[in-house]
Amino acid sequence: MIIMNNISKRYPNGSVALTNINVHISKGEFVFVVGPSGAGKSTFIKMLFREVLPSSGELFVNGRNVVDMERSEVPYLRRSLGIVFQDYRLLPQKTVHDNVAFAMEVIEAPYREIQKRVNHVLDLVGLRHKARVYPGELSGGEQQRIAIARAIVNNPVLLIADEPTGNLDPDTSWDIMKIFSRVNRNGTTIIMATHDKDIVDSMNKRVIAVENGTIVRDEVKGVYGYEA
Amino acid sequence: MRLRTLEYFVRETFSSIRHNGLMGFASMSTVALSLLILGLFLIMVLNLNHMASTLESQVQITVYLEDSVSNAGITRLANEFADMEGVKKVTYVDKKQAMERFKQRLGEQQGLLTALENTNPLPNSFEIQVDKPERIKMLAPEISELPGVENARFGQEVVEQLFTLTKIVRIGGVVLILFLALAAIFIIANTIRLTVFARRREVSIMKYVGATDWFIRWPFLLEGMVLGLAGAFIAVLLLAEAYSALLSQAQATLAFLPLIPRQPFLTQVSAVLLASGTAIGALGSAISLRKFLDV
Ligand SMILES: Nc1ncnc2c1ncn2[C@@H]1O[C@H](COP(=O)(O)OP(=O)(O)O)[C@@H](O)[C@H]1O
Ligand SMILES: [Mg+2]
Repeated sequence: MIIMNNISKRYPNGSVALTNINVHISKGEFVFVVGPSGAGKSTFIKMLFREVLPSSGELFVNGRNVVDMERSEVPYLRRSLGIVFQDYRLLPQKTVHDNVAFAMEVIEAPYREIQKRVNHVLDLVGLRHKARVYPGELSGGEQQRIAIARAIVNNPVLLIADEPTGNLDPDTSWDIMKIFSRVNRNGTTIIMATHDKDIVDSMNKRVIAVENGTIVRDEVKGVYGYEA
Repeated sequence: MRLRTLEYFVRETFSSIRHNGLMGFASMSTVALSLLILGLFLIMVLNLNHMASTLESQVQITVYLEDSVSNAGITRLANEFADMEGVKKVTYVDKKQAMERFKQRLGEQQGLLTALENTNPLPNSFEIQVDKPERIKMLAPEISELPGVENARFGQEVVEQLFTLTKIVRIGGVVLILFLALAAIFIIANTIRLTVFARRREVSIMKYVGATDWFIRWPFLLEGMVLGLAGAFIAVLLLAEAYSALLSQAQATLAFLPLIPRQPFLTQVSAVLLASGTAIGALGSAISLRKFLDV
């Protein structure tokens, strides 16, 4: 699903975010990327959907060569991915339903398909009853669940999340993790950057620990490993 | 393109135009103004060219006689003209006939003639038809030399002056139109910049979920094109009204002026203006998209 060979990233301003990263992630895995602030987690995540290009090394996502990819292929890479951010990134002037449908409309999905899928994923995150509501009327946790619904509405093979619980209290964070587990059980690979110790320690999933741009630990059933 | 996609583009475009209200209005007005000027120059230049070619294709020389020429002299001149090479027809028009014709031409404006108090300043004249336009340049000087001839006039003299006038109008027009078109492009680019700014969140989400570059660009391009087209439409309406008014005015007072008839001329000019407006809009959008939309 993901192959990183000797990936390094140096930003134009000279700061080195990643050095010599080698990672293989298989289909269906659930992987945490952990590490202190500034370690390179976001850079790692952003390379997967080609928001950031590696400076050197090889990167394959879902069989696609991300480094040598034509610009025109990038949208098709992203259609196979779902992306969730710390700050939800919903459109305030659209209803919950329309926010989720938007992700299908802009890739020109058929109307019937959109209605079916949107209802399905809103059920999955438990917010179908909020379909006609605007994001501003929802709690942070609910907004993030909508963002997740939007990320999975196009049936991605890989769900990528950068600190999705970063703005949420522990209880709400657990709601999010339950949804992720459910999505993962349905076969979707999940990669989540976080520095939430409790979550990582109790989920018992693969943990890739990054420090100063290098992988210092990669454990199949790992723990957070830092003081929270 | 799917029908739903088209519907989506149209919806986005018009909601954005509503959202941009005043800027959109300014864009439309600028386009309308620049195309109005473009249209005016187009109409002017084409009409001048039309006049020139109408005059150029004339095969008639008008020979004005001095009042002192006797009847015998007139007969002699008539014979002399008829014998010249290429001359097909010689018609004598005396003072009275000339006045009659002039009255007819003036139509409703005959009141002007009272100033003449029944004197007739018009000379006796000949109208000489020749076989082809090129013949005239040779014959005219020859005829002017004959005794009793005041002068010989023909359309081509005016043509040269018309061409000079057309050239000046053309150069001045091109400069002014370019300047105005640039202003229109600039203000449309600015309007679209506002739209891009207002929609940057949507655009970034569209990119993350895999919308293609062109899918993202189209609504912005359409907005510019619609603004340009709307501006052009205003210009077309105004020009069509103005030209129709000019034509009916000219018919009443200056019937001899060879203006281009209303149709299909106006339709052609309108097509040019509408296309230019759309192009100006598309260009303005494209400039803004290159600069501000990172897709
Ligand atoms: N766009 C950028 N331009 C320059 N430097 C950056 C950029 N993004 C991140 N960095 C730098 O790269 C390093 C890793 O950042 P990041 O990947 O955001 O880490 P994390 O998500 O683990 O906090 C940091 O030193 C950061 O300052
Ligand atoms: Mg980060």
